[in-house]
This record gives sequence, C-alpha cells and structure tokens, in this order.
Amino acid sequence: MAKLTIDGTEIEVPDGTRLFDACADVRGQALPHFCYHPDLAIAGVCRLCQVEVEGMPKLTIACNTMVRDGMVVHTRNDKVRAAAKQILEMHLINHPVDCPICDQAGECGLQDQYMIYGLYDAEVEQADKVHKEKAQVIGPHVILDKERCVLCSRCVRFCADVTGTGEMGIFNRGDRAEIGVAPGVELDNNYSLNTVDICPVGALTSRDFRFEKRVWMLKPTDGICPGCATGCNVRIDHEAGRVYRLKPRRNDAVNGAWMCDKGRMLYKDVHDEHRLGAPRLEGADTDWATAGQAFAARMAAGLGLVVASPHCSLEELHLLKRLAEAKGAGLVAGPAEADRGDGDSLLLDGDRAPNRAGLALLGIEELPGAELANRIASAGATVLVAGGEPGDVAVVGEALRAADTVFLGTHDRATAGAARLVLPGAAWAEKAGIFVNRQGRFQRFLQAVVRTGQARDDWRVLGEVLSGLDQPHPGSLRELRGELAQALDLEHLEHLDNLPAGGLVPREAAGPAAGGDA
Amino acid sequence: MTPKELQILSARFGRDNGHKLAVYEAEGGYTALRMALSGMQPSEVREVVKDAGLRGRGGAGFPTGVKWGFVPEGADMIYFMVNADESEPGTFKDRYLLDYDPHQTIEGTIISCFAVNARTAFIYIRGEFGWLVDRVQKAVDEAYAAGYLGRNILGSGYDLDMIVHKGAGAYICGEETGLINSIEGRKGQPSIKPPFPAVQGFLDKPTIVNNVESVASVPWILNNGAAAYKAIGTEKSCGTKLFSVSGPVKRPGVYEIPLGLSFREFFHEWLGGMADGEELKAVIVGGSSVPVLPAADIMNCNLDYESLGQAGTMLGSGGMIVIPERSDMVELIQVLMHFYYDESCGQCTPCREGTGWLYRIVKRLRGGEGSAKDLDLIEHVCGGMAGLTICPLADAAVMPMRSFLDKFRPEFEALIREPVPAVSSSRWPRGEQE
Amino acid sequence: MSQPVADNAFSLSDASRARIEALVERYPTKASALMPCIWTIQDELGHVPPAGIDFLVGKLEMTPARVHEVLSFYTMFRTEPQAEYVLQVCHNISCHIMGARPLIAHLEKRLGIRLGETTPDGRFALEGAECLGACGHGPCLQLGRHLYEYLTPEKADDLLESLKRGEIPRADTDRELED
Repeated sequence: MAKLTIDGTEIEVPDGTRLFDACADVRGQALPHFCYHPDLAIAGVCRLCQVEVEGMPKLTIACNTMVRDGMVVHTRNDKVRAAAKQILEMHLINHPVDCPICDQAGECGLQDQYMIYGLYDAEVEQADKVHKEKAQVIGPHVILDKERCVLCSRCVRFCADVTGTGEMGIFNRGDRAEIGVAPGVELDNNYSLNTVDICPVGALTSRDFRFEKRVWMLKPTDGICPGCATGCNVRIDHEAGRVYRLKPRRNDAVNGAWMCDKGRMLYKDVHDEHRLGAPRLEGADTDWATAGQAFAARMAAGLGLVVASPHCSLEELHLLKRLAEAKGAGLVAGPAEADRGDGDSLLLDGDRAPNRAGLALLGIEELPGAELANRIASAGATVLVAGGEPGDVAVVGEALRAADTVFLGTHDRATAGAARLVLPGAAWAEKAGIFVNRQGRFQRFLQAVVRTGQARDDWRVLGEVLSGLDQPHPGSLRELRGELAQALDLEHLEHLDNLPAGGLVPREAAGPAAGGDA
Repeated sequence: MTPKELQILSARFGRDNGHKLAVYEAEGGYTALRMALSGMQPSEVREVVKDAGLRGRGGAGFPTGVKWGFVPEGADMIYFMVNADESEPGTFKDRYLLDYDPHQTIEGTIISCFAVNARTAFIYIRGEFGWLVDRVQKAVDEAYAAGYLGRNILGSGYDLDMIVHKGAGAYICGEETGLINSIEGRKGQPSIKPPFPAVQGFLDKPTIVNNVESVASVPWILNNGAAAYKAIGTEKSCGTKLFSVSGPVKRPGVYEIPLGLSFREFFHEWLGGMADGEELKAVIVGGSSVPVLPAADIMNCNLDYESLGQAGTMLGSGGMIVIPERSDMVELIQVLMHFYYDESCGQCTPCREGTGWLYRIVKRLRGGEGSAKDLDLIEHVCGGMAGLTICPLADAAVMPMRSFLDKFRPEFEALIREPVPAVSSSRWPRGEQE
Repeated sequence: MSQPVADNAFSLSDASRARIEALVERYPTKASALMPCIWTIQDELGHVPPAGIDFLVGKLEMTPARVHEVLSFYTMFRTEPQAEYVLQVCHNISCHIMGARPLIAHLEKRLGIRLGETTPDGRFALEGAECLGACGHGPCLQLGRHLYEYLTPEKADDLLESLKRGEIPRADTDRELED
C-alpha cells in the first residue's frame, strides 16, 4: 500500500495505482484529459492531466505516473491550473469551433474542459488557423472531420489493440498531422462505432446519428442489447418516444466499455415500418377488446402448443410456462437453428438471441425447424407463438399457417402473416424485463420509450389470459418476479426486482453454500 | 589549430585516407579495444569512462558512464544505438567524425557495447548523410573482416553485431526514444518516460543511445586513462569538444578544443575573427536550440558547460552559429521557427500546435501585419509549450524564440511601428504549406 | 479516397528483392526492417508506388496504416513519382546567413519556377530543405546522394548546365568506394 497526499487529503491506495485514478478518487472528478482511457494503452500526448508532484522539477502527467509512498500532489494550485488552461488553449487554436453544426456539442470534451479550465478569449488570428479536410466518410458507420481532431490517438489505439485491425493511423508530422484511415482502407470492423464513443470531440461521429438530434434533448435509459447471448449493457438514448442511438454501458464483467456495430443498430427495429401497431383477427385490424375476447375464447376451448422464443424475457417465459401447465399444452421453443451466426473473439456471440440461457433455466426445449413444424401440425388445438420470428423458417411458417395460430409479437413478417390472431407486443426497448446471458448472468433492462401504436406489455397480456382461466396471475412486474424467483429457487437472492445495474450470476452470488456443482 | 596532444577526436580530419583501416591501425587504432577485451571487465570500462567525466556530446551533456550504469543486471538482451542523426542547425561535427574517421567511432562503439554487455549495435545515420553511409558501411565491413566485430571478437568470447541504419529526414529522430522508435519501424516519435530506454527501450529491451562524438572519445580515454582526460578541460567539463563553426568568420569548420577555452581566444586566434567587411553581432553557441548571446556577452564566456550556463545559454551540441551585424534578427528567428514547425513530430499538443503558431506569428510580424500584442502573444505561446511536453523539442523552439525577443526586442518592435514589406522574391521555405 | 490497390507498373529488380530478403533476415523484427526496405525500393524506382506499399505490407506483416504513417512522417520518403533532378537547397540559419536566399532566388529565375515547384518538362524540382549538416560549408544543395557545398550563383549555373546535359557532376563529398 502507498500513503500519499493529494490536495491536502491523505489517502492510502494499493501499490501500482495510477496517480490519475487516485486523483480522480480524491477530487470526485477526473483530471482534465483527452488521451487517457482506462481500457487503452497510455499515450501521454494530450498533456492535460499534468499535476505538480513535490520534488519533481516539472509538472508530470498523472496518467503515466504510479503512486509512491509519501508523494505530495497538487492538482488545483495556480501552476497546475495555468498549465491546464494553456494546454487546452493549444488544443483549440486550430479547432474550427463549429459547435453549431457539430453532433458532439453537449457531450464534447473541449466544451466541457473549456467551461472548467478555459473561459478565456481566443488569441489566435483566424488567418493563422490550420485547415484540414472535413466530412470524410471513412467507413460504413463513421465519418471523420480532421479539423476537429485533437490527435489524442484513442481511435488509433482502439483499432490497434482492441480490434487488432489497425485501420487508423496518424499521418504526417507537426501540425500537418492528421488522423485517418490508410488509403484504400475502410474503417469497417464490427466495432467501428466504439471509436465514435471514445473520440472526445466531434472528429469521429456516427453517420447514422449525424444531424439527428441534439444530445441534450436525449434521455438515457439502461438496457441490454438483444442482439446476442453476450448481453452487452447499453444505454438507450431517446426523446419523445423515439430511440435515437445506443451507447455501450460499462460492465467489466460482460462487455467492458464496448459493444458491436450490429447490436448498436438494433435500435432501428423498434421503430421500423414493420412494427405491428394494432391487433389483427383473420387478417383484419381490430381493437384489443375484440382481440382479447377472441384470445380468451380460444384458450377456453383449448391450447395445444406454446412456442416460446429466446427473445422473450425471463418473466414472459415464466408466464408462458404457467399457461402451458394450466392448459396441459406442450411448451417448446424454436426453430433452434434460427438466430445463429458467426461469433468473433471480442463480444459478438454466434448465438444471436439474448435469452437462450433463460429457456434452459426454465427447462424449455428448443426444437429444430422440421420437428417444430411436426409438433405444430399435431398440436390438436390453438398454437400460441410468443416472441421471435419462427415463421421465417419456411417449414415452420407453413405449419403455422395451417394451424390455428395466435402470435404475440412485434413485427409484421412471416409469422404474423401466418397467424389467425395477431397481438402486438412491446419491442425490447419498450418494456422492462430480465435476460440471462451466456455467462448465466441475470441482467435487467428497463423501458425506454412508450409502446408503438397499440402494442402492449407482453406479460400483461399473458397475465390477463391466466386471469381469464381463473389462474393466479401477477398484478405487477414485481409480483411476477417474486413468483419467478420462487420458481427458480432463488429466494436467497435479493428480490429479482432489485437486480444490480451490472447484473448478477445467481450461483456466484449465492456462494458455495448454495449447492449445485460449485 | 588543435595542438597534437589534444587531437583526441580530430587526428585524421581533413585527410583523404584516414578512413582506411590500415591507416587507423597504423596510428594505434583498435589498441583500446584489445586492451578492453583482453584484460578488463565491462564494469571496469564503465568506471574508467565515468571517472573521466565524459559527458554526452549530442547536446544533453549527461555523464556517459552514469548512463551506462542504468542498464539492469542480468538482462538477456541489450541494444546499443549510436546517434548519428545530427540535425541540429549549426552542427556538423558528427559528419566529420564519420567521414574522416569512421573506425574511431566503430572502435569506440564496440568498447562501449562491451561496457554495457550489448550484443547488437545500430549506427543510426541521418538520411541526408547518404553520401557518407557507404563509407561507414565499408569501414564496418573492414572491422568484421579484421575480427573486430562478429563472434568471439579477438578471441575474447564477446560477440557484437553492428548494423548501419539510414534515417530518412526527421530531426526528432535525434531524440533517443525517437531514434529507438524509428529503428523499430515506426514514426520517430519520442516515447513517454517511464519506462526509460536503459531499462525498456528497443523492442522493450534495455537500450543505450549515445552520440557519435561521445563514443568516439572512448578509445583515447581507455588508451590514456581517465586522469589524462580529466586533466584537459575544467572540473565539470572534462576533455575536448568538437565545435562546429558556421557564419562569416575567416575560418569556419569543425574544431576540437579543450573545454574551458575562452571564446575570445577561440574566435580571434582559431577562427581568425570575422571575414572582411563583417562585424560580430551575436552568437548561438550550442546549436540553434540554445539561447542567443549578443557579441558583448559571448566575449566574456569560456566554452564549457558551466560558464555558458551562467551566461544564460548552453553548450549544447557545440554548433556555433556566428551572426553578423548585417543580419535581421527577426528574419533569422523566422527561419528557426520554421525549422521547429517543420520538425515537430506532432504527437503532443503544446509542441504540435505551438510550433506552428509561433512560426505564423513571426511570419506575420515580418510581413508587416503584426501588432503590439503579438510580442506578448509570442511569450504567451512560449509559456504554453516550455516544460509541458513529452520531449524537449518544444523547449528547443522556445529558448531561441525567447532569447531573440529578449536580446533584440527593438528589431521586433520596429516591425510594428514601420511595417517592412516582404523583401524576398522567393516564397521560402518549402512552398507547399505556408 | 481509395487508391488503386495494385499498380501494374510496379516491378522490382531481383537485386532489390534479394536485398530486401537479406534485410528481413538481418534485422531483429520484420517491422524494424521497414526503413531500409523503403530505401531499397525508392533507390530503384525513385519513389514508393502503391504496389510497393502493398508489397511491404505483405512482406513485413504490417498494416497499411503503419506503413503509410512511416512514409508520410519522414521527408525523404516519397510516394509520388519525382522529377528527374530534385534540387534541395538548405534554407536553415547558417546557410541563410551565408546567402541561401539569393541562391534560391537565382535558381528560381534560372529554372523559371518558384520554390516548391517542378519545371513543366518534369526534369527539375526545386525544394527547400532544413539543415543538411554542412553549416560551415554553405550555402549547400542536396541532389539525391550528392551534396554540393560552398555554392554561389555561378557554381549553381555550372551545376544546372551539367544536369541539363544529363550529367551529375562530381561533388567534393562524393566518396568513391575503394576496391
């Protein structure tokens, strides 16, 4: 351990602690910085995080200094403040200051640092400013403005060390230096938009988000990416019922600070033109009252098979199981070969559904398409499909069309087309729930935006059906989760309604005493 | 002009055959190497050089023997780099050493490598010295053939491989970590420290980087002993130093002087004073990166680290630029500011942006578009650069800028009161960027 | 934004290829052989064309970004075809004091171009250079591997005359390899 003094406060930290981090802890806010990033190698080029360490002849950068016992550090004295202000000024002299047309405004490192350390009048003559190329598309998702770049090199380090793809470099020297991709190369790896996240200024911006929304209008909601079994933690940025973008939310146990581009673009599903907006009975739009009656009537008559999906939340799966048990219906999921793709060595899993582990936990068997089609054909009564798009597999779609199918889902595709009764459900960003990722981690996602059209919360729809069958049904999500915890034998945990933001692996949380094969 | 007994480095300067192995050997060459390899331990060699008080001759002046001591014990691989990237304006002494006496540098390098247990040495020669790279390579080949390089040198069991590496035009590769990064196949941008190169340098292995003149001094020190070296020069500035002299003196060139020689004597006796029709105005004594001294100030100095330090400048690389009375000091500082703007590696913000800004302010000033606040602005920019960067290039730009403004301020002020029209018909420097 | 990936005109002599193989052998890592490999290509072709860059990327197992960074960082590396004679005149402080600017003005007049430009016939390019390490022998001019010192307008004229005839005159600094 090392004892050191920062701004008059004595602290004790483990040896090997970075002075940058120690200062952030004491100050309650990070030192000014651009190039430092906890997940990237140290560059030490922005020079902003310089502090005074007594006994050293010059100011020293905190990001490349390890704490030493007895260090006395000043981060807020006149010398340090003056240096921060001057270095910030150097970052700005050739900056175009085109905030009015820059997407980064409102979440920009230069703006933020200027408000804290700057607040001076610019001294550089306009004629002396260096100009560089603006608005250069460098990949399918990213557009580069070289003039705004502060050459912190985060994007270069990201591409070199995290994705290992090395598309980006810094060319030329002196103030002619510019970030870019090598000629003939595109920034097209599946993690390219993380460079936009880590770019502290508006040099690298998202083409998708360009000019869409001022960031101070956006509200953030915690979510879990539904794209694969990794379950990257995300932040859903939305305003007035629309999602505008996804950002990764740090979870060092799951996705670190990153997410993949495929997942990032999934917000588009929420608002695409194929969303089911209204219930549909025998091909004609109707209202919920009518649809609800039709559903109840069918359930009373008999339920032959429930086809669940790894896209359903854990709560929905629980209610589907209860419904199947109440009616003596079969309960399966599938087709098992759907929602598969290539995984990579970073985050993207070959399992492209967020809750297959949830299916396994509840003992719901996943069948391949051909077998699933047979089960549908021999169901003998109404088939309820909840979540997913099993009808995309032709043989299953045909079986669904031949059967008396009820579909509780989000999009008007083959499955909805095959169903006699279509009930519009909530998209992943329009409801709250729990997904279990490939680590067995229970991760909660929250409702970000209001539901499209007449879409309803799926668990409520299922609850109403149970009620109609005189079965016990939960009155709230909290109650539902209580039932779920019991069903899964997880009472030793905090109520499932209080999952921590970083998720929980129940067996780990329970400790060795909880049994199992730990 | 150097007395024979002080020709530690320059014995073969100006000759047309001094570069040949036979000549070097006939004049005592490789005796020191034999001595080191046949009877001395590496630690003993380090002690001799440390004791002799040899200081890095590239410009930093750091004690060479002390630097050698930073290599950790028991390292499995150690590299040695000879810094022949000589690019400091006003400096052309390493050129003379490599051109006229490459074997001296080679011998000095082998001994130095032995002293730090290095097994591979690179001689990094700036690309603009392409005209002498073949000569150096030939000398290295001769050394291999004679058994001074390669495996089991002179039967001692010591192996050393030596590679001649050509640069490609970047002053910043003269900074030791810039040089290391350059040889690794990257841009020659300096590295942040820690880690320090002696511990973690080339390919993350311990690496020592020494200037040509530093290693070239080693054979004489070993042959004649530390005491003899210390007997020359002053207490803190031992031995001899090569001064590169340019400007309108009667006899410009490279001179080996005993440190501590008075500038007055050097200027009048050795250099013959100013050329006919020229008057002395100022001198930049240690390469362009040190503060300028007006004539009256330099005349009272001795040419050693301490005396020049006390006068407010530095011995640096010993690149002595003699500035005549006819010179326009603002024009000269514009030339220098363009140099640092051109050569800044661009990595860290204060230097990258500051060097460009300084150049543009001075250029505007000279073009008659400057205002009084520009002089304060210059100092403000300097304040945002000095001491705040990864390497000293920013300081190297700031020191001459501040000193020119400080010592010759009226010339700057005159430009504000009476704008001087741009006199030159040529758009200099290199025209593609202003 | 993209350049053609393969330059069909790229062909390197066997001697150069052999030299590159030897360099890759000699240097401790493939990447560390980059600079001398670039020199080998440039010495033969006058510059490094896109196909040369691809070649280096493959041979040295480096990314295009890394190779381009190096090519763009060092002033002596060229990625465009060069004029037949690239005259680089030092304009740093010592040469400046000794008359570099009038020399440059003289060359501009003789060649009919400004500093930084190339003659229309593509034979002569005039560039400025920073300190070439000949400060006491200035003004000076670099032409490839030849360094001409103690230049005056008259000597510059002699040099140009030779070059126009296609002869590179011997410089005092030309060091012939002995046998």
